[in-house]
Amino acid sequence: MAAGTVVIIVLAGIIVFGLLYVVATYNSLVGLRNQLKNAWSQIEVQLKRRHDLIPNLVETTRGYAAHERQTFDAVTSARARAAGAKSMSEISSAESELTGVLSRFMAVMENYPELKANQNFLALQEELTSTENKIAFARQAYNDQVLFLNNKIQMFPSNVVAGMFNFRPAEYFELEDKAQAAVPKVSF
Amino acid sequence: MFWSIIAANKRKTVLLIAAMGLFLVLLGAAIGVFVAGDYHPYAGFAGAGIAALVWAVMLLASLYASDSVLLSISNAHQVDRDTYPQLYNLVEEMVIAGSLPAMPKVYVVDDPAPNAFAMGKSPKDSHICVTAGLLAVCGRDELQGVVAHELGHIMNRDLLYMTVAATMLGSMLLISDVFLRSFRYSTMRYTSRSRRSSGKGAVVILIVSLVLAILAPILARILYFSISRKREYLADATSARLTRYPEGLASALEKIGGSTEKLVAARSVTAPFYIVNPTKQSLHDSVFATHPPLSARIKVLRSMAGGAGYLDYMKAYIQVTRKRQALIPAADLKGAGKVEIRAANAAGPAAGLTAAESRRRAGDIMRAVNKFAFVTCQCGLEIKLPPEYAGDTVSCPRCKRVHSVIRPGAKATGAVLSASAAMNASAAVRPESVAQDYSGPGHAGVQQEKLNPGKWQTITCHACGRPYEISPSFGSRKLVCSGCGSLILFSPASEAVHHKRG
Repeated sequence: MAAGTVVIIVLAGIIVFGLLYVVATYNSLVGLRNQLKNAWSQIEVQLKRRHDLIPNLVETTRGYAAHERQTFDAVTSARARAAGAKSMSEISSAESELTGVLSRFMAVMENYPELKANQNFLALQEELTSTENKIAFARQAYNDQVLFLNNKIQMFPSNVVAGMFNFRPAEYFELEDKAQAAVPKVSF
Repeated sequence: MFWSIIAANKRKTVLLIAAMGLFLVLLGAAIGVFVAGDYHPYAGFAGAGIAALVWAVMLLASLYASDSVLLSISNAHQVDRDTYPQLYNLVEEMVIAGSLPAMPKVYVVDDPAPNAFAMGKSPKDSHICVTAGLLAVCGRDELQGVVAHELGHIMNRDLLYMTVAATMLGSMLLISDVFLRSFRYSTMRYTSRSRRSSGKGAVVILIVSLVLAILAPILARILYFSISRKREYLADATSARLTRYPEGLASALEKIGGSTEKLVAARSVTAPFYIVNPTKQSLHDSVFATHPPLSARIKVLRSMAGGAGYLDYMKAYIQVTRKRQALIPAADLKGAGKVEIRAANAAGPAAGLTAAESRRRAGDIMRAVNKFAFVTCQCGLEIKLPPEYAGDTVSCPRCKRVHSVIRPGAKATGAVLSASAAMNASAAVRPESVAQDYSGPGHAGVQQEKLNPGKWQTITCHACGRPYEISPSFGSRKLVCSGCGSLILFSPASEAVHHKRG
């Protein structure tokens, strides 16, 4: 066998393997991206649920604590901002704010013992707690997926394929409770 | 995910099925030869064939019908979101946390003893059961810990092996029982009628039944040995990891272990399924125990100082049990990241209940699950009506007032017990019926309620928040709140009526 044929066979082999690698990587990138979308829709379902709960919660509690006007307004406007948020960073900042406002709202409502006897309120409180938990768990799952995808996109050699097909690293979904992070000011 | 544990569980299941098959075929062949070996040269094969058929039936039963059989002997009732929203929510949360492919079916077991178990061969088709007693004594965080523990069993495929094993064992006990009965019957007949007994058949039946009767408990022991006791620790680790709050499970285990109620529904066959062994509450380790000692499990969970991840659990496990061997195979720990412990949720409703109170609450939970109607009378008596009760009205046995009965289901009941408060979750939210003026109870107690004839109506007492469902046939103009004694007056449609504190 001539040296030329050997070279051709080797080159052809490399090209075939390269193509197979590109196809496999492309498919796994698409798979990861779809899983990410799925994980994100999980979060959206829960965020939507939280938005739906808030008007009920406000209506149920208003009869008991009508003079807590500021608290009600804060919740309602935070909800409106969160519902209108579009981009990832907007959503994440608006939802973190809503989480903080809601936890303060529930703390204020703790001052009304009559509410604790209200079945509607108790049911809504349970729904809210559960929804907050589901958001937290869904967020964890989503961020795990982001890590997988970003690793694949940024690590060699899969980054070459990702670059060819224009895959962009995904953003993490962070929810920081600014109210909790801030040191409470105490004045006498 | 503990891949090596899952693989081991699958391997063990196959091994068990094969061993059981071999044993049965040999037994069948021996019986065949013994009974008819003198007349037919192939009697051994025939016996083996029959045994193989029995084995196949057992196998099919354990793979396809076991769940429903085991659930029904455990007295479990399926619940949905409307019957017990909190439990349902907790399962949903853990399904999201563990990324399970499907939502398990949720059951409540009619029993005042606190305990829980799971069943199911794969995460796609699984069942989670808690007892009414557990719901009565556990707060939200504790219940979450228990649910996550059960989900851990499902994720680790512990239940595949246990279900198959329990069904095989159960059917073996059944066969031995049938043989013993038939033997008793046949001896009775033979002794009473005539002495022309063939003898041999009766002897064989006796021998087989005796062998099975002796073997079954031994097999049960072997089965219990073969069920890895590590599985409870592993499910605890999963629970801590999923809930990110080990204290919840620890305190639930403490409550379950501290309970003096005895689980009625538990059988020796189903015992290994429960979170805490329901048949023997031994605090100390024993060779025959199906569960590791509770005290050790609680201690491990409480020693998880650094975080809620698998690595933290491992560290605590080694520290408490002083065992060198790894609990979790190293291969499964790769990529196990750091998991922070979260803060406690608001404490559940059940703090410091007496035994009588918790039993009463367990009973009420079970009545709600069984679609009882709850009617609270103005005199403070709570009337609990079984679903068989046909009338639309009921008169209070104490004060003779007549109430309309609101059936559970589409409509939420008016005043319900605190434990099942959340049962009203979705149905009860009717903001429009909360009074139109937002004056609240502090403002001279003006509560205007308009009566819409021919329609269902939800009203809430402003003084104490107790909700009422007003039926279309509600004829009275006033209602005394059973919670606080306030008087609520009704005006038909337009007429305005004020009400004063009674």
